[in-house]
Amino acid sequence: MQKLYLLLTALLTLLMTVCAYAEENRILCASTTSAQNSGLFDYLLPEFEKDSGIKVDVVAVGTGAAIEIGKRGDADLILVHAKELELKAVEEGYFVDRRDVMYNDFVIIGEPNDPAEIKEAKTATEAFAKIAKKQTPFISRGDKSGAHTKELFIWKEAGITPAGNNWYMEAGQGMAKTQRIANEKQAYTLTDRGTWLAVKDNLNMSILFEGDPILFNQYGIMAVNPKKHKNAKYDKALVFINWIISEKGQKTIASFKDKNGNLLFTPNSK
Amino acid sequence: MSNPFLKAVELIFSFDKQLFDIIFLSVKVSGFALIIASVFGIPIAVFTAFKKFPLKSLFINIMNTFMGAPPVAVGLIFYLLLSRSGMLGFLGILYTPYAMILAQTFLAFPIIASLCHSAIVGVDPLLKQASITLGASPFTTAATIINEARYGIMSALIAASGRLFAEVGAILIVGGNIAGLTRVMTTAIALETDKGDFELAVALGIILILISFTINFSLNIIQKKGKKELI
Amino acid sequence: MKLTVSNIYKNYNNTTILNNLTYSFKSDSIYVIMGENGVGKSTFLRICALIENPDAGKIIYYKQDKALKNDIETRRRITLLLPKVGIFNTSVYKNAAYGLKVRGMGKNKIKETACEALDFVGLLHKKDQNALTLSSGETQRLGIARALAFKPEFIFLDEPTASVDYKNTKLIEGIIKKLKKTTGATIIMTTHEKEQAIRVGDKILIIEDTKIRSSIVTKDK
Repeated sequence: MQKLYLLLTALLTLLMTVCAYAEENRILCASTTSAQNSGLFDYLLPEFEKDSGIKVDVVAVGTGAAIEIGKRGDADLILVHAKELELKAVEEGYFVDRRDVMYNDFVIIGEPNDPAEIKEAKTATEAFAKIAKKQTPFISRGDKSGAHTKELFIWKEAGITPAGNNWYMEAGQGMAKTQRIANEKQAYTLTDRGTWLAVKDNLNMSILFEGDPILFNQYGIMAVNPKKHKNAKYDKALVFINWIISEKGQKTIASFKDKNGNLLFTPNSK
Repeated sequence: MSNPFLKAVELIFSFDKQLFDIIFLSVKVSGFALIIASVFGIPIAVFTAFKKFPLKSLFINIMNTFMGAPPVAVGLIFYLLLSRSGMLGFLGILYTPYAMILAQTFLAFPIIASLCHSAIVGVDPLLKQASITLGASPFTTAATIINEARYGIMSALIAASGRLFAEVGAILIVGGNIAGLTRVMTTAIALETDKGDFELAVALGIILILISFTINFSLNIIQKKGKKELI
Repeated sequence: MKLTVSNIYKNYNNTTILNNLTYSFKSDSIYVIMGENGVGKSTFLRICALIENPDAGKIIYYKQDKALKNDIETRRRITLLLPKVGIFNTSVYKNAAYGLKVRGMGKNKIKETACEALDFVGLLHKKDQNALTLSSGETQRLGIARALAFKPEFIFLDEPTASVDYKNTKLIEGIIKKLKKTTGATIIMTTHEKEQAIRVGDKILIIEDTKIRSSIVTKDK
């Protein structure tokens, strides 16, 4: 019996110590799967930690969910890509100190032989219209993410209601997984270029449409308003925001390349 | 594309730090949850087995029902509770290992309480009689019965740990799958598969399968040992 | 030590099993209780062994003419062996040592006494075996060893040979007689075999129609 107690105490102490983590010098950033899956954070955050001593933990979800996490006060800052939604949330008072950080663009990817012939389209809306007309399968993120928001915007511009058609499928998954599903189903999908470049080696797909200004993808960063959530670590979040828009931070983003040497994001803080 | 399986084996045998950090975190989170759930679950099982109290059968029914609680739903409930805007938001433990331990404890508790209760109640009543006729006090008699239920109790713990290690829904929601902080085997596999980086995913998959096989193998052995009673 | 039961009543499901039953058991004898099935032999034994309470009546043990309280101390001077022995899932030795352990005996003393008891029933060579692997006859003998290890002054045996073969029946009968001779304990057993009652018993009591109807002295002391 005594041995049992000893063992139990030892186990408990062990677990207590290993589960303890230094809460003080960490901040939590809610961000998007596109930023995480591209590998940007793995490259960026160690640099920031070296400079500031602050560790940034990242919860990667869709843009919509990240904004929601921030609104609830469960993160200290968010880095997302849906400028309209961001500005609206700032206006509502949930966030402060919003800054543009970087951009890349969205591209439409699909089976290389391009059954809907969207390669010949002039604009993204035209490409979408062709897909709808041909009723070729299209995988939507369906998760209120930045890419989803952009995709819905394009459908709206094209004057098409895709929901409810059986060629239009909502995955409800992150960017990389959505690409994977599109790959399996030989379908089209809209993706950010960063995730595409990071994952494309494992896919039998290619970019079929790109370059329309409507596909511009702006990433922004903002801190949770400490007046709404007094637990939010605003000061440290601000240190990160200031770092990422600083020359050093922007240079680091500019020097981030995927394993094939592609530049994934272009810094554009002003 | 090189063979992810070979690379995974290479990762395992080179004791890759990232890989083993994830494995250890899994063991810590699920292990701790198991210990807490046992510390509460076993005494409650003992209590319900030996004492009469109002609404006892209702309590047992609830425990049995919660045994099959969907982890995702449990995760959601704890997410809403632990969120800064939730009832337990003041704890500030959402997206930390503590939240994961809490959610997993909640998943393991009914399994342990319910299965241990069945194990104790299932002990041959002759043994209670034997214990009394041999001069044992009520306390010793209870201890003897619990001891006789030991294989059933162990089975309960193993069954619970099997569920915890394989579980992804609850820990993903309350843990957030943060690299180096709350990323455990199951959530890491999901993420790495998304990214198409199969090496780490396969390596973790191998370990996870090994763990789950070991768990089920020992469960089998223990259940056989306990069955000797019926021979 | 002696036992007096007086004015015992017991009902089961509105049927009177024992009605105003009174009897005195003296020490150093083997009593065999007989009677039809369902006549209440086992119930009577359980009441005498303080495992079950009667609806009315008194069970009093006397030690040197001093009445004892029916507490755990008195319970530890007596034991009851059920027709089916409940064996703990552990070694034969640990089963035999159980009664000694709950009485707080020292480790070395336990070892000596338990081994002695196992030797008494001829199971010492199996002491390290798991007790659940024993045959039914051996199980019954282990039950006896477990009970006699702590040297009870009253031993109640409920159908001790009901589920064992001829060879083991003989063995167990021998053990019962030897037990009385070596420890001077009072043994009260039930059986439905008349021959066995005559072979083993000093006195045969017949329960009939809720009472002890007759007692036959088979051997003069």
